[in-house]
Amino acid sequence: MARNTESNLYTILFTTGMVVIVGALLAFLASSLKGKITENKRIEKQQNILYAMGVNENDETSVKFVSKDKVASEFSTYITKQLIITGTDVVEDDMAYLIDLKKETAAAKNENYQRRLPLFMGMKDNIQYYIIPVRGKGLWDAIWGYVAVDNQLVVQGVFFDHAGETPGLGSNIKERFFMDDFKGEHFLDGDLFKGISVSKGNSDPKNLDKTDFEVDAIAGSTITGDGLAAMLRKDLKMYLPYLKTLKQ
Amino acid sequence: MEHLELFFKAIFIDNMVFATFLGMCSYLAVSKKVSTAVGLGVAVIFVMAITVPLNWLLDTYILKDGALAWLGPEYAVYDLSFLSFIMFIATIATMVQLVEIIVEKFSPSLYNSLGIFLPLIAVNCAILGGSLFMQSREIQTVGLALNYGISSGIGWFLAILAIAAIREKIRYSNVPAPLRGLGITFIITGLMAIGFMSFGGMLTGGEEEVAKETETVQIEAVKEAIDIANNEKEIHE
Amino acid sequence: MGLLSKKDLKLITDPLADNNPITIQVLGICSALAITAELKASIVMSVAVLFVMGLGNLTISLMRNIIPSKIRIIAQLIVVATLVIIVDLVLKAFAYELSKTLSVFVGLIITNCIIMGRFEAFALANGPLRSFIDGIGNALGYALILIIVGFFRELLGSGSLLGFKVLGDSIEKTGVYAYGYENNGFMLLAPMALITVGIIIWVQRSRNEALIEDN
Repeated sequence: MARNTESNLYTILFTTGMVVIVGALLAFLASSLKGKITENKRIEKQQNILYAMGVNENDETSVKFVSKDKVASEFSTYITKQLIITGTDVVEDDMAYLIDLKKETAAAKNENYQRRLPLFMGMKDNIQYYIIPVRGKGLWDAIWGYVAVDNQLVVQGVFFDHAGETPGLGSNIKERFFMDDFKGEHFLDGDLFKGISVSKGNSDPKNLDKTDFEVDAIAGSTITGDGLAAMLRKDLKMYLPYLKTLKQ
Repeated sequence: MEHLELFFKAIFIDNMVFATFLGMCSYLAVSKKVSTAVGLGVAVIFVMAITVPLNWLLDTYILKDGALAWLGPEYAVYDLSFLSFIMFIATIATMVQLVEIIVEKFSPSLYNSLGIFLPLIAVNCAILGGSLFMQSREIQTVGLALNYGISSGIGWFLAILAIAAIREKIRYSNVPAPLRGLGITFIITGLMAIGFMSFGGMLTGGEEEVAKETETVQIEAVKEAIDIANNEKEIHE
Repeated sequence: MGLLSKKDLKLITDPLADNNPITIQVLGICSALAITAELKASIVMSVAVLFVMGLGNLTISLMRNIIPSKIRIIAQLIVVATLVIIVDLVLKAFAYELSKTLSVFVGLIITNCIIMGRFEAFALANGPLRSFIDGIGNALGYALILIIVGFFRELLGSGSLLGFKVLGDSIEKTGVYAYGYENNGFMLLAPMALITVGIIIWVQRSRNEALIEDN
């Protein structure tokens, strides 16, 4: 090779070339795939919301969502109303499920900002469900989910997901054995808000007692579990004023 | 207080080596002697103290969703977060080589003791881990980011110092031949990590107390809000 | 194997045992500890690393004559990161389900020093075909350890394999649990991964005395 790959000029040219090529390639890919990715994310949100209220194709043990091609029609069938709660103001909005909770939380740090809370109302087999989106922090990254309650404010189903919890440990929050435990749990003691904690005590591993405000934790994922309980406490509480009006 | 809490948390509770198991490769490979371990440890603290705040600035003003808003409102729609991995890594690798060049130029003696470790650091996943944790834990200010960088570095330094000291001692022990060297180091690290788990309870206890207090306050607030909501309902009806 | 010479074949077989990236070269430890609580995660990670190592080694080897040595580390890191991000973006657009499973591993792959280590040690000095084979071989050696560790941690820690409860139900007390066996939850914690790898090293070195270190 006649070229001198050690000269400063070559190094600078090489770096510039590499940055331009890599940058252009990534930017091109990201922008050209953006439409598809957003669409996939939208479908996923609808699937998750439906999953929480029990519209899914679950078999014995695994999580199965409504299939992609059916999700749009099922979503409009089962989700009857989408609300945005801002303070004491409640408006209906069909795009409420696209509200980005991450952005809302960030914006709410500004005291003048009145946080928008999306709430979805679903109807299945003549039972009214209220589906509350929640978002919080696990061990490594964000965790989020949807909690479906009936008009007695008893949890009827949940869906959790995460961005990067430890595979095999914290990532199990999206597994059936964990999510199913939440069915029937209460988070109110009379009028008192208790939340649902993820407990290691293991006094009730079969989860028969539904009014103990706790579910059984996953071994080896304490921080994810604590984060999940904190997320439920924090986000369910924001909806309480509105939810309690439903119960009366 | 916030600074102090983050500082101790990063060193003991979220120790890079024992809690998150990052930076293991160089930790295991360069811990045969205390003196080299100290050199590498200092270099890690140094590089983390530079890269974590730098990446914080990058993340806050360029990469985050809507971070470009300071250029004008029309730029607020851009979300460059898909670039964060590559930007963080590029920053780290660039900083490592810059530091190497500067130290070599101005302080040859420091370069002689530190220099050979610098290229090793670019591939140390604890450094990238530090920047990624900074991002995912939403550290608020550049000061806290600096603090986090330094304290995570110190945590890593302590870990490699401890294992190097143990390895120097263990040379005089009668370890089964196949376990000598790497094998016993793995097992000792495992035991040390179990020890470090006991720090896990250190700061959590306090948090629970605080949480209970705010809970009662907030329940009062909720009750008020319900009253307001109910009144409104009546008015509407 | 007409396609591969004996020397090339050695590139695949060596990393499986006597020059294993985890137990001998001390590379890629972080991920070996982080994700082996479950056999399934170990397998997914192994496949992802196999892919990135093969392609990455090939790319670096093709570029080896034009990369200035001063900035070779940056160049290598950028190649890995770009590869991983491209794969992540494409999967997100065309195979969303799969990308959900893999997204957790993206960060772990980029920071995996086994990839950088092989770039530095092999791909920078060898031709594309040999580098590709070396990448595959090392990824397989890595996969072997990951799967062994994952197997024992899941079996002893949760009493299951790939999610199937092979030892019976621990809550209903069926299978071996009926005789008083309990899962060892400690196996799921990361320190036990370290100790498991330590034991693998012990077994390997007692079978092959040439690998024993002096102290």
